[in-house]
Amino acid sequence: MDRRTVLKGLAGAGGLALTGLSAPAIAQGASARTLRFVPQANLANFDPIWGTQYVVRNAAALVWDTLYGVDAKLQPQRQMVESEETTDDGKTWTFKLRPGLKFHDGEPVLSKDVVASLSRWAARDPMGLMILAIQQELTAVDDRTFKWVLKQPFPKMLYALAKNNAPCSFIMPERIAKTDPFKQITEYVGSGPMKFAKSEWVPGAKSVFEKFTDYVPRQEKASWLAGGKNILVDRVEWLVMPDPATAAAALQNGEVDWWENPISDLVPVLKKNKNISVDIGDPLGNIGSFRMNHLHPPFNNVKARRAVLMALSQEDYMRALVGDDDTLWKPLPGFFTPDTPLYTELGGEILKGKRDFDAAKKLLAESGYSGQPVTCVVAQDQSITKAQGDVTADLLKKLGMNVDFVATDWGTVGARRAMKTPPGQGGWNMFHSWHAGADCINPAAYTAIRANGDKAWFGWPNSPNTEKEITAWFDAKNLEEEKAAIGQVNKAALEDVVYAPTGFFLTYTAWRKNVSGITKGPLPFFWDVSKSA
Amino acid sequence: MLSYILRRIVSTLPVMAIVALFVFSLLYIAPGDPAVVIAGDQASPEDVERIRQGLGLDRPFLIQFGSWVWRILHGDLGTSIFTSLPVSAMIGQRLGPTLSLMTVTLLLTIVVAVPLGVVAAWKAGSFIDRAIMAFAVFGFSLPVFVVGYVLAYIFALELEWLPVQGYTPLTEGFWPWLQNLILPSIALGCVYIALIARITRATMLEVLQQDYIRTARAKGLGQGGILFVHALKNAAVPIVTVIGIGIALLIGGAVVTESVFAIPGLGRLTIDAILRRDYPVIQGIVLLFSFVYVLVNLMIDVVYTLVDPRIRY
Repeated sequence: MDRRTVLKGLAGAGGLALTGLSAPAIAQGASARTLRFVPQANLANFDPIWGTQYVVRNAAALVWDTLYGVDAKLQPQRQMVESEETTDDGKTWTFKLRPGLKFHDGEPVLSKDVVASLSRWAARDPMGLMILAIQQELTAVDDRTFKWVLKQPFPKMLYALAKNNAPCSFIMPERIAKTDPFKQITEYVGSGPMKFAKSEWVPGAKSVFEKFTDYVPRQEKASWLAGGKNILVDRVEWLVMPDPATAAAALQNGEVDWWENPISDLVPVLKKNKNISVDIGDPLGNIGSFRMNHLHPPFNNVKARRAVLMALSQEDYMRALVGDDDTLWKPLPGFFTPDTPLYTELGGEILKGKRDFDAAKKLLAESGYSGQPVTCVVAQDQSITKAQGDVTADLLKKLGMNVDFVATDWGTVGARRAMKTPPGQGGWNMFHSWHAGADCINPAAYTAIRANGDKAWFGWPNSPNTEKEITAWFDAKNLEEEKAAIGQVNKAALEDVVYAPTGFFLTYTAWRKNVSGITKGPLPFFWDVSKSA
Repeated sequence: MLSYILRRIVSTLPVMAIVALFVFSLLYIAPGDPAVVIAGDQASPEDVERIRQGLGLDRPFLIQFGSWVWRILHGDLGTSIFTSLPVSAMIGQRLGPTLSLMTVTLLLTIVVAVPLGVVAAWKAGSFIDRAIMAFAVFGFSLPVFVVGYVLAYIFALELEWLPVQGYTPLTEGFWPWLQNLILPSIALGCVYIALIARITRATMLEVLQQDYIRTARAKGLGQGGILFVHALKNAAVPIVTVIGIGIALLIGGAVVTESVFAIPGLGRLTIDAILRRDYPVIQGIVLLFSFVYVLVNLMIDVVYTLVDPRIRY
């Protein structure tokens, strides 16, 4: 019996015992004006430009507002901006801010703050860097108007300013935004609907956000990062719980109100509790990744990479990740998020149907593989990478590969995967990761799909065809052109095996039934969330 | 005695210096990179390198070590790579919960374990003795997290008497403070109760065979007086030693307990810092822990002189 079995059994017993019982005394005494939330991870730093972890982005969305926000239809909508104009040649964008915008220190939000914020953001964001590369000037025209002049058109400008992928273009006061983008800010004066209570911040344990009463929400209904961000509680407390069983028990006991991502093992227990609602948290889900090093044998040969694709069973990976709950996963013969406008399966035949080990072995032999060790660096402290790593070890062994399985932690994988040296000299042959589906709806923030060799993400794939089609997407002027380009990106990236997708999977979120207004989305949205006693 | 204590405190300095060098070197050569964690999964290698430079992690070992030592000598433990908060402030935030947990656990352990050991020795071979020793084996065998989950299930989920998790500072009231510590202290204390009960029993058994105990009985002293005044005092040195070792071991046990009961203590801070490679925080905590170890040993030595007048320094 292992620790996970014990906690599941005990949490289960607790859940059964509590079914039909009312909330305990501890919960009844809690204030309905405070929402207690268990986030997916610890908020260890709070600079959304310097640190781009999802948890930082999620917390920052409470504290800082953006010029535009992407809505549930994945469309950019005005947020801090009142209006925008672009010249006929598409090279000059002029934006006007809404009146009455204030920072948490009471100062008005001015164009100079926006200019400084966008400059800092652009230095760290992939789309921002593309804009910087063609920027002529970014200037404040007056207190509420600013202008971005480019040397050539950039059709995805509004999407870049609205996207929810980290780093988002959060607006900060000029004096803070002038901080070097590679150094951390230490002052957290926001422009969003909640203030960060720095004095109550215990990194690793607790973060507190208080309602900013001077925030002026938009009149439109809230939709993801767009629309009226109306805060209906006075205070939101983020309580970090490293142990999932503790979080499950705390939710059942009414000590917390909302658990962002319960592990799938404990979901059946939570579903049995009549005081708890459970639903898919982020409909855009995640894409599992089997990332190969294109610089060194055997995966520097496309035949070896294709051999892996031919043998790889996404069902094996997904079942290892989410168990028997078939609503939580689907096969993904491609790289883009299912059920989004640009989703495509073009070129995805290699990942479909019965797995052909004989053909894969033949292809592997043709690649020149002759039994040299294949170094798989697998983080054991992340359940997603561990589960994928176990399946991969089995897969590669079945293919006849000599697996050098390096079981380590995520911090080590993070450092080692940056090494370009051969595997025997500190490098690697493959590692696992996963990408938020929100990052994979198009190439804008999809670093992992880039295939520009040395400049590409770890593994350094070099696929000119993939890059050509990505450029075509950036230049596309309408949805049809975008779809055509993305289809070709998918096809080219699968032919050259930029990386091997291991499937698409979803996760749950759970909350007590006295909490209402929780919406599905790529991050937890706290606007319109209320709590009754 | 005072000069002895001062000598011992001064003698901790080289120990601390060696610990500091060892920890710094170990972290320097250990795999992992905080810049990677900060930059996020999608960051480019160039971004990671720029962050490393910003943090000063690209500087040579000697320069990094030298500047760290210089700061330590000025009473500055440095700044967390991740939070930008002073390490001393972060440790200060976490010290209260861990000290509370250790104090309650230690008191519980001593109050329960010593009498159990004494009674087991007094009733050696009887059903009571066997029951106490069976409990001790049980306490040794059960992992802290299993005890923790079972206690949380019974007393928090089932009976709804106590909270599942969290910590309330003592400043907000004695009962709210204690309420959060009862279950973690029992979970953490089980193994130490077992350990100290067994040591107490073994030592007491030996003492109870001594001639002076027979003399005490012969002159008509009551059982309580014999056990708790004459025998226990003579058995105290090994018991105090084990309690001291227990205090040191509690620091390790607190890591698991704090995770299971979501107590924001030093144990969790340590784990978080290690996983993130937050070097200044790890170094600060290790220095603190090593100082505590040395201090506990000193305290034990001092307590020896109180329980055994023959021991003098």
